[in-house]
Amino acid sequence: MNLKLLATLFVAFGLFFAACNNNDESPTAYDAPSVTAPSGVVSLAAGTTAQSIDFTVSIDPELTATYQATGSGVTISNPSGSVTGSTITINFDAGNTPGAASITVTVTDSEGQSDEATAVLGLTDESIVRLTSNITADATWTADKTYVLGGRISVVDGVTLTIEPGTIIKGEAGTGPNATALLIARGAKLMAEGTADAPIIFTSIADEISPDDVKAGNFGSPNLDPDVPGLWGGLIVLGKAKISASNDNGQLSEVQIEGIPTSDANGLYGGNDDGDNSGVLKYISIRHGGSNIGEGNEINGLTLGGVGSGTVIENIEVVANQDDGIEWFGGTVSVKNVVVWNAGDDAIDTDQSWAGTLDNFVVVTPAGSCFELDGPEGNYVARHTIQNGTVIAVLGGRSIGGSLIDVDEATPVDMKNIHFVAPLDGLTITDDEVANTTFENVTFETDDLASLMEQGGAVPAGISAGGSPVADVSVLSWTWASQAGGLDGL
Amino acid sequence: MRQFLTIAFLTITTLAAFGQEGIIRGTVIEDATGFTVIGANVLVKETGSGAVTDLDGKFSIEIAPGAYTIQISYIGYESLTIEEVEAKAGEVSVLGDIRLFEEAFETETVVVTAKTIRTTEAALMTIKKKSPAMLDGISSSLMKLTGDATAVEAAKRVTGVSIEGGKYVYVRGLGDRYSKTTLNAVDVPGLDPDRNTLQMDIFPTALLNNIVVSKNFTADMPADFTGGLLNIETKDFPDEKIISASVSIGYNPAMNLNSDYLTYEGGNTDFLGFDDGSRALPAGADAAEIPTPISVIGGQFTKQDASDFISGFNPTMGAEKQTSFLDLSASVSLGNQLKLGSKESGKDRGTLGYIFSLSYRNDYTYYDDVFYGEYQRLSASDAYPLFYANIQEGQLGERNTLVGIMGGLAYKRAFSKFRLTAMRLQNGESRAGQFRIDNNGDAVGQSGFIAKSDNLEYNQRSLTNILLNGTHVFEGKGWELDWRLSPTLSTSEDPDIRKAAFSLSPLDTFINAGEGGNPSRLWRSLSELNAVAKIDLTKSYTFRGENARLKFGGSYTYKERDYEILQFDVQFFGGSQSFPSGDPNEILVPERIYPDGNIYIQSGNIFPNPNEYNSTVNNAAFYVSNEADLLPNLKAIVGVRAENYVQRHTGRDVIFAQGGDGNNLDNEKVLDALDLFPSVNLIYSLADDQNIRAAYSRTIARPSFKELSFAQIIDPLSNRIFNGSLFPYPGWNGQLVETRIDNFDLRWELFQGGGQLFSVSGFYKFFDKPIELVRIPTQQTSSEFQPRNVGDGRLYGVEVEIRKSLSFISPALRNLSVTGNVTFVESQIEMTQIEFNSRKNFERDGEKIDDTRQMAGQAPYVVNAGITYSNLDAGLDAGLFYNVKGRTLEIISSGLYPDVFFKPFNSLNFSLNKRIGEDKDTAIDFKVSNILNDDLERVFSSFEAEDELFSRFSPGISFSLGISHQF
Repeated sequence: MNLKLLATLFVAFGLFFAACNNNDESPTAYDAPSVTAPSGVVSLAAGTTAQSIDFTVSIDPELTATYQATGSGVTISNPSGSVTGSTITINFDAGNTPGAASITVTVTDSEGQSDEATAVLGLTDESIVRLTSNITADATWTADKTYVLGGRISVVDGVTLTIEPGTIIKGEAGTGPNATALLIARGAKLMAEGTADAPIIFTSIADEISPDDVKAGNFGSPNLDPDVPGLWGGLIVLGKAKISASNDNGQLSEVQIEGIPTSDANGLYGGNDDGDNSGVLKYISIRHGGSNIGEGNEINGLTLGGVGSGTVIENIEVVANQDDGIEWFGGTVSVKNVVVWNAGDDAIDTDQSWAGTLDNFVVVTPAGSCFELDGPEGNYVARHTIQNGTVIAVLGGRSIGGSLIDVDEATPVDMKNIHFVAPLDGLTITDDEVANTTFENVTFETDDLASLMEQGGAVPAGISAGGSPVADVSVLSWTWASQAGGLDGL
Repeated sequence: MRQFLTIAFLTITTLAAFGQEGIIRGTVIEDATGFTVIGANVLVKETGSGAVTDLDGKFSIEIAPGAYTIQISYIGYESLTIEEVEAKAGEVSVLGDIRLFEEAFETETVVVTAKTIRTTEAALMTIKKKSPAMLDGISSSLMKLTGDATAVEAAKRVTGVSIEGGKYVYVRGLGDRYSKTTLNAVDVPGLDPDRNTLQMDIFPTALLNNIVVSKNFTADMPADFTGGLLNIETKDFPDEKIISASVSIGYNPAMNLNSDYLTYEGGNTDFLGFDDGSRALPAGADAAEIPTPISVIGGQFTKQDASDFISGFNPTMGAEKQTSFLDLSASVSLGNQLKLGSKESGKDRGTLGYIFSLSYRNDYTYYDDVFYGEYQRLSASDAYPLFYANIQEGQLGERNTLVGIMGGLAYKRAFSKFRLTAMRLQNGESRAGQFRIDNNGDAVGQSGFIAKSDNLEYNQRSLTNILLNGTHVFEGKGWELDWRLSPTLSTSEDPDIRKAAFSLSPLDTFINAGEGGNPSRLWRSLSELNAVAKIDLTKSYTFRGENARLKFGGSYTYKERDYEILQFDVQFFGGSQSFPSGDPNEILVPERIYPDGNIYIQSGNIFPNPNEYNSTVNNAAFYVSNEADLLPNLKAIVGVRAENYVQRHTGRDVIFAQGGDGNNLDNEKVLDALDLFPSVNLIYSLADDQNIRAAYSRTIARPSFKELSFAQIIDPLSNRIFNGSLFPYPGWNGQLVETRIDNFDLRWELFQGGGQLFSVSGFYKFFDKPIELVRIPTQQTSSEFQPRNVGDGRLYGVEVEIRKSLSFISPALRNLSVTGNVTFVESQIEMTQIEFNSRKNFERDGEKIDDTRQMAGQAPYVVNAGITYSNLDAGLDAGLFYNVKGRTLEIISSGLYPDVFFKPFNSLNFSLNKRIGEDKDTAIDFKVSNILNDDLERVFSSFEAEDELFSRFSPGISFSLGISHQF
């Protein structure tokens, strides 16, 4: 019984296979040729020469075959030939343009049958260095390369990052947890000494500006308008100088910088060392930043949290930042020669009793307030000075939401020699909370000074109509704003 | 197949037979213990025919129509004779719970009428009287009498229970963390994944057997509850044929038929509680690289790709006004039991029971003055008043739809029972709000602006549960075996939470990222599987001549949760951000979308996603418990339970996700503990109607999946950020552990018959390392919280409970009774150093800051009071119920921001149920809720300062009218 069943099964299987073979074996056809490219993307540096890539090929043994190779983004030195064996090796030079490239091989046999395969190449830019982790050992970024921020990169306590003049740093795009930024933690140093001829540029990956542009003296973006905001985060410098925050535990006040979640301890700032030195920041242009971390929680162009007076910061430009241009959170550092152009929120923002001086600056068309100045949040109180500045509040069709000057009762600030260019219609100056603010030669191009007063009250002493631009723009000629004509007539 | 045909055939023949005869059914229970009596003899005197009670203590007799006398007898018990038992052709007469009393010296026969039995307080009071655990509950008989429609209405009649949000049930004022809900004695994930407890308004009472609340632990219960364990048991064998339908409408003058009601354009299936895809994530949005102007410049995408991608987002961003309808709910329930096997052959092939129910509800909620506030303290210590940092005021419309389907089959032979129950709940909640935001630039961390915002949300949840249960009694050997297998799948999704805010300046209406923020879109999804296997064995034996029981068993629970958040922001590629009309529906219009316009959408997601996690739990438990009379009047239940609990987590933080040296866990153990949970319950019977109980037990409260993660979750409405506990901070090591609780209870109780009760209890609980949500003080710009173990906690409480008929005043008042339950609790927790410092830092002049405070979430008192009128002859039941919970600490101060308290909400509700018709099979019920028109308010509270609002909702007074009919 069982034997009989087995025999039947065998016969059935035999018949089945026989049938299959009969179907496959066409008496008149030769096997079609087949060619296979290496799988995945083959990565190699753009501009490298004398490269080769192997395609696997199979031809009916009774036939001969030839191949044709075409490429994009590469130069092939053996674009055609006969097929011998099971491999075709294509020799090529990679093009100089980074990005996708490809090589396609078509194999044709003597029966006229053909097959083709494409190898995908990724030409990497060796002049691009992508950063994804914190900088935990001293490092130098050089002008021949572009540095890409692949996330929130912190230079940690005790580490110095040196950036050569003319270096370009680009942040990848993203918002929320995906936002990119460069953060100089408390105790770390940023030595970024650009020059008027070779500024250091922080911008977005979308900005096509290259080291060659900088060398040629073209500091503006070749492809992005100067009002495109929020493409990446910003530059954050944190220090150990005193701040006036509500988290003071008797001796020490330290808090987390806005825009960085508290789970990242590199975002802490504040301390007792007023002479703290976070390095040197000279001739730096920061553009298209300010991406969102949480609602109302964006990154400023340049954030200075508890930065001490040992730090040198001068010749700074912030363009098209989605949040504030420069924001100080306490600290003692002084800053001079500044342009803030097209800020998405306030241009100059101070908090937590900053105790330094901003000297010689130009503010152009912020969407928030021109000056958003706040005072102590804790028990420690210190004054800051803002002097020698020119402000263009309104120009073109940019949205305006804030005030010309917004201070509150607790703001200890001295404003001197500041001129606001017309038109100023509809904008206001805080006038009921200026108890702790002094004005000296603060001038407005208006016929109706009283109408600028928010509450319609008396014009505070030191504020007057008329005047003319006071900032020395000659030292700002290196900026994109100046090159684009944005400072003309000042 | 043949078997099935036989059953089908038998069913048909049974149904045919059913036409002529009547059926008499009942359940026999032992009065002393409340346990069912198996094998009792049930004899119809007139015919001499009879039956024997099965493993549920139930019997069923088919008999020609007429009036009969039934005699029930069992060895060791007094025989009971029930007169005037009516059998009607084609109908089932249900006698309800029939109690047998232990035999006295003189054998006597107790005679009652069928009506008395039917209307006497159900077995539950007996259960309560003699139960080892302090428990309370409500039986199906009582639910049937009171006419409560859903489990939540029934549960509020249980003493010591408070209802939150009309859905959740808490015991003794302890918060959600210390409460637990089970369905048919197995763990089920709730529809709200952030809660331990299940929402109770989804169960129609027609399908419930009982609801039991246990206030203290015995070894056969899961160990992870401290306040109360609430179990819902669904019906298996309906005592009588159920074909019922009910419809009800609800009206709240402030909410229904209101032309100001806010909604937004949703999907076509919103009325069924789920989205039809209108809110689906656009294709490609979850890729690492999405089409944006930046990736177009980078060459990865074309402008057309970007335009197509952005257009893939639903363009509706604004709320719209639409008149709301009345609240509507409807349900149908079917059920019956069939005796298999023909009468002629005399062969018993068992009983088949089935239940089915379909329910639907659609409610509208509209608040026209919602308020969310953030208030701060000033730094000067002599400045007492609080001042605002941010205020959001506006209107909020919600539509809540719930569809429930449940079906069950049960099969019973004399000593074995099997049941299979399947349930599916689908819940959809659509919300639309419009707010005005006033941000105070003078406050710490605030930029200062005026804005308006539209918030659109949709939340859909589902729960699918299957239960396979078997019970076997080994007759004569005293063994009973019960096993259960129950998988549950639950999901909660928030597809496309949309928010759009415009800054309002005198010169412009525009989008400002630094003020109201850029418009955002967010998708959240969660799914959780719970699989439970459970076995319980009970051996009844005699100890010193008294009944004793040994119970032991085990259970295995596997849980797995997947969670993910994807977020996107609307961005401007330069150019105008001005929207003069202020209409959020004009944001994603074709002419403004890139490349024609300047609007694009940017991804906030990193892959691997730090806002995604997977967690699993394996919990194996074994227990043994023995119940015996140690002394003639002292019953002791002593047991111990062992639980081996292992929780694993897969997740990562942002730094790791972006490629850095961050934190990453790949299926690693985050909790691993073998715990022993001893319990001792002593019941000393002072007199037949008085007990003194004393109990000790150890229980546990474990961190949730979300708490043991690296998730950083921003609440889209409040912008508060939740940080998973795994992040270390100075003073916090990132290792969240379980809270172990020692519970001590002492109670005196007096039973006065007819369901009357008076009891006084005292309790003390010690919490080792309780978990609280701590505000992170270094964050000043926004509000960040993290769950942490804080200092030890203690809780002392007194509970007084009364259920008293007013017949003692005058017999005329016999239908009136008062029920009341008052709990006072003094709780204390030791502050962490961080909290103490933060508070000290903002100590006001004249204030004295202690290093202890009350426990968060613990109400200092809970009052439940009710007066009910119940005239069962007239089919009338009415009641007025009052509930209030004392001022409860909700959010702990960080110094700058003061403590937030939940203010007492004085809830007064009236319900009336009237049965009409010859057979009283039609019921009309009428309810009024929140008669005092109180508001739900949370407030900031600071020394010598006036309270300021944290949030306010005005639920208004609502009315509902329903009709149900039993066919």
